[in-house]
Amino acid sequence: MSHIHMDVQNVSFAYEKDKPILQKVSFHAHEEDGIGLIGANGVGKSTLLKLLVGLELNFQGEIRVEEIPLGKDTLTKVREKIGYVFQDSDSQLFMTTVREDVAFAPKNYGLPAEEVNRRVEKAMEAVQISHLADRPIYKLSGGEKKLASIATILSMHPDIILMDEPSVALDPRNRRNLIRILQGFDHLKIIASHDLDFIWDTCSRVILMNHGEIIADGPTEEILRDQALLEANGLELPLSLSRSRG
Amino acid sequence: MNEIGKALHELNTIDAMAKEDKWLNQIHPLVKLILTIFYITVTVSIPKYDMQRTLSMLLYPLVVFVIGEIPVKESLYRLRVVLPLVCIVGVLNPFFDHTPITKLGNLIITGGIISVLTLMMKGVLTVLASYLLIATTSVEKICYALQLLHLPKIFVVQILLIFRYITVLLREAKRVMNAYMLRAPGQKGIAFEAWGPLLGQMLLRSMDRAEVLYQSMCVRGFQGEFHLEKQGFHMKDACYFLFFAVAILLLRIFPVFYMVGSLL
Repeated sequence: MSHIHMDVQNVSFAYEKDKPILQKVSFHAHEEDGIGLIGANGVGKSTLLKLLVGLELNFQGEIRVEEIPLGKDTLTKVREKIGYVFQDSDSQLFMTTVREDVAFAPKNYGLPAEEVNRRVEKAMEAVQISHLADRPIYKLSGGEKKLASIATILSMHPDIILMDEPSVALDPRNRRNLIRILQGFDHLKIIASHDLDFIWDTCSRVILMNHGEIIADGPTEEILRDQALLEANGLELPLSLSRSRG
Repeated sequence: MNEIGKALHELNTIDAMAKEDKWLNQIHPLVKLILTIFYITVTVSIPKYDMQRTLSMLLYPLVVFVIGEIPVKESLYRLRVVLPLVCIVGVLNPFFDHTPITKLGNLIITGGIISVLTLMMKGVLTVLASYLLIATTSVEKICYALQLLHLPKIFVVQILLIFRYITVLLREAKRVMNAYMLRAPGQKGIAFEAWGPLLGQMLLRSMDRAEVLYQSMCVRGFQGEFHLEKQGFHMKDACYFLFFAVAILLLRIFPVFYMVGSLL
């Protein structure tokens, strides 16, 4: 078994007892996996991502990240391995400048100043925002904020990347750039998105969710070509495919 | 831009000004913080009837305005909300203190009038000194200086978080106000009956946003401490401190304006 992996076993979660959000969700993710988490609005994709990074802990079942069971005592260890990009970049960025925000995590993990600087420069370079390094966060556009939030997790050198709707607010050039970055990231990544074309380009495996349950789990090509399955679960074929089918 | 937008803009402008690459901004934050506290303490300690010495203290902010290249007009405009409040302090003094101090023609100037004027001046001067500190030193650097003074970690973190959350709250308020105004054309202000739900919405949204921000900090290893950028202490910092500490003391001892006036 590879070094980086994640096990989710029978995970159920609810904020209110009679309104379950996730029901008996189980999957295993390997190092090389790029998993697209798809489903209509409100099916529990974002909640599942939050559970995986320990932002909600009162779930039933078991989540293991590289054999470490996710719980209150192991949060720091687990979070060091995972980079999580929030859906809303405004909520992710809280320091005053891009550089400070990208340096936040490496500083928290006690890295020496030179290493922090090296990582910050590299992370900003990767998403091509080095020219924005000293710009105040409030002066960034929506797309720039999204790229900055991605840089904030790249500077952590995470084993696993979780992303919630990463392509939202990106213009075509930046979207293509992000696809290139994600294709180059050779560890485990789980991306929740409605943008099925984005999933098509970045993920080799897809998990389709509905009503808090996993409906299908398989190769991207297989699931995203299954028009009946997608439509039955509130989705449509990726644009690129529907066009080619005419 | 509505009032909230303006407030947000001014907050951002002051923050940007503090981060400019100017000579005074590069002075060690601890030096500027201690000097400001020292100046405020000295100013407040001047006796209540001593207008001459109080007036002399104006020299310090004037010099800092010049060497810090801080625009005076904009700064006074920014302080327009605070300064009237400061001036209200002691407004009742003339009614209680009738001790005659001096005469201006036939008009007897009482201790009450002098003390209220002195109080107003002290208020304005202390506000100006604080403003000059934040206009030349970012919140992070002020917090770093507080850390060096061994202020408990929890207070430093609180100050930093409050600064972050103020902008979050203002942005939420701006969004809600814009949404309201777009659907209430021609209406001046917010209708009384809408205040309840509007404020409730704003509170809930801000709490929600603050929680997500906190989560974002936690997933990036935040464990109750901000790792603020360290700054070395140089000779220029020591010189700056010595010069202004002595100058403030001299201003306290000698009523400069009065002495210059006597010479003329």
